[in-house]
Amino acid sequence: MAAAEAQPPDRPLVASGLGKTFGEEDGRPVEVIRSISFSLGRGEIVSIVGPSGCGKTTLLNLLCGLLPLSRGHVLWNGRRLGSVPPRMGYMLQKDLLLPWRTAVQNVALGLQINHVPRRERLEVARALLDRLGLAAFTDYYPSALSGGMRQRVALARTLAPQPEVLLLDEPFSALDFQTKVLMQRDTAKLVREENRSLLLITHDVEEAVGLSDRVMVLSRPPCTVVAEHPINLAGDRTDIVTAREMPEFGRYVHTIWNELDVH
Amino acid sequence: MEKSVLSSSEHAQPGIALPRGWGTPRQRQARWQRLRIVMTQVLVAIVLLGLWELGTVHSKVNAFLFGSPSEIGRDLLAMIRNGSIWTDTYITGVETLAGFALGNLLGVAVGLTLWYSRFVSRVVQPFIMALGAIPVIALAPIVIIWFGTGFSSKLAMSTLSVVVVSLIIAYKGATGVDPDQINLMRSLGASRHQIFRHLVVPASLTDIFAGLQLTIGFALVGAIIGEFMSSSQGLGHAIFKAGSLYVIAQVFAELVVTCALALLLSALVSKVERMLLPWRHDLQ
Repeated sequence: MAAAEAQPPDRPLVASGLGKTFGEEDGRPVEVIRSISFSLGRGEIVSIVGPSGCGKTTLLNLLCGLLPLSRGHVLWNGRRLGSVPPRMGYMLQKDLLLPWRTAVQNVALGLQINHVPRRERLEVARALLDRLGLAAFTDYYPSALSGGMRQRVALARTLAPQPEVLLLDEPFSALDFQTKVLMQRDTAKLVREENRSLLLITHDVEEAVGLSDRVMVLSRPPCTVVAEHPINLAGDRTDIVTAREMPEFGRYVHTIWNELDVH
Repeated sequence: MEKSVLSSSEHAQPGIALPRGWGTPRQRQARWQRLRIVMTQVLVAIVLLGLWELGTVHSKVNAFLFGSPSEIGRDLLAMIRNGSIWTDTYITGVETLAGFALGNLLGVAVGLTLWYSRFVSRVVQPFIMALGAIPVIALAPIVIIWFGTGFSSKLAMSTLSVVVVSLIIAYKGATGVDPDQINLMRSLGASRHQIFRHLVVPASLTDIFAGLQLTIGFALVGAIIGEFMSSSQGLGHAIFKAGSLYVIAQVFAELVVTCALALLLSALVSKVERMLLPWRHDLQ
């Protein structure tokens, strides 16, 4: 693995031979992930699609060190980490906002954990909410916000500590179609403008094709990579709506659908 | 950067900034509904008290065994005149609040701390269950021996009535925190202490406050049991004394005062809860 250790720093995340088996210690092992290898380049958006229940969330938790690996290793900026990597943003389908904090306080949570002074972190949080169109709602509690707004606040919270790599697990799947497309657009903008890397886990093939530079298709568990497709769509890649109308878009979606083992 | 189109099409839930006043027809209707319920309740109370009074007017035995509303009213007035109503309520109220505060402080502190160590919590669980299974009243004789007949034995009874319940509620609240939420905190780089402070403690507050509503009642029960065992003042003392002397109306009069004290304490806890949990719209 000497070659992997010498990764040039423009690949913030490299996974090789990742595997996870649950229940090894009590003698009834269940192999969820057999072997997955991939890399995520700087400024790249990669989607991972797979049939439901194929261990996508387990994969994400392995990558960010929330679960111990059974096999293989993960390199963050060329280094193996025993714990949660720094400068990593993590977002789930559930917004996980803290109900006792206002929107702006929720966004500032990561900065507070990293000991950024109060005035500064609230300033950053307000600016982010403003960019996401929530300037008027900064002091609302989550219970007073709609589902789409809450997910936006969650996105702002993920972005506030300036992560270089974002790991998003089905972040838009609970939203209605219109809200979803607009949030995809905002996410693509905020990621591409700042040259961040994004790994998106989803079951939504259209979302994967519309947003990504590359789509990886996973099999049913025990999970492996079935196929990998570079996505070449002309024009502004932050424009999700136009991307959906291109003829290649439909072809990609069709091909990937056929590779997904959903029958 | 352009603003999202969404912010104009999505709205916060209505009803947050509505001005006070007579409001919409729907609100007027709701108010009328409430008024009708209260009027019916008053009517039911009057009818029941009237039947009670009627039943005792012609029968000396019934009046001796059950008292009568008029006698109870007379005794209440007498208690107000000689001031015993205030001193007894004050004594019992202080015992209750002190036991409530101490019991919850201990219970919540231990309950939340157990979150820190799953190992310790598993070790102590059967002991806590055993302690919780003992009826507090069974401890009264020992408490009197250990703490004497003064304030401290009432405080001990009241605290004991509260502490185990409070501990279990706080511990359940702490361990009931969504594991995804804990993962999120970890992904932001939070230490175990930070997770405890920024997530576990505030998340448990909802349960803890529900526990306060419950334990304020337990604290009062504990204080009154303590007064039953041995005391020279307080509502429990007054009830016990009147009962021993077969002055049933006096017992009822003291019960009315105890009931009022319980309601007052419970309202106080609700008020504090609303003040401390401003994000809970359901409480407002």
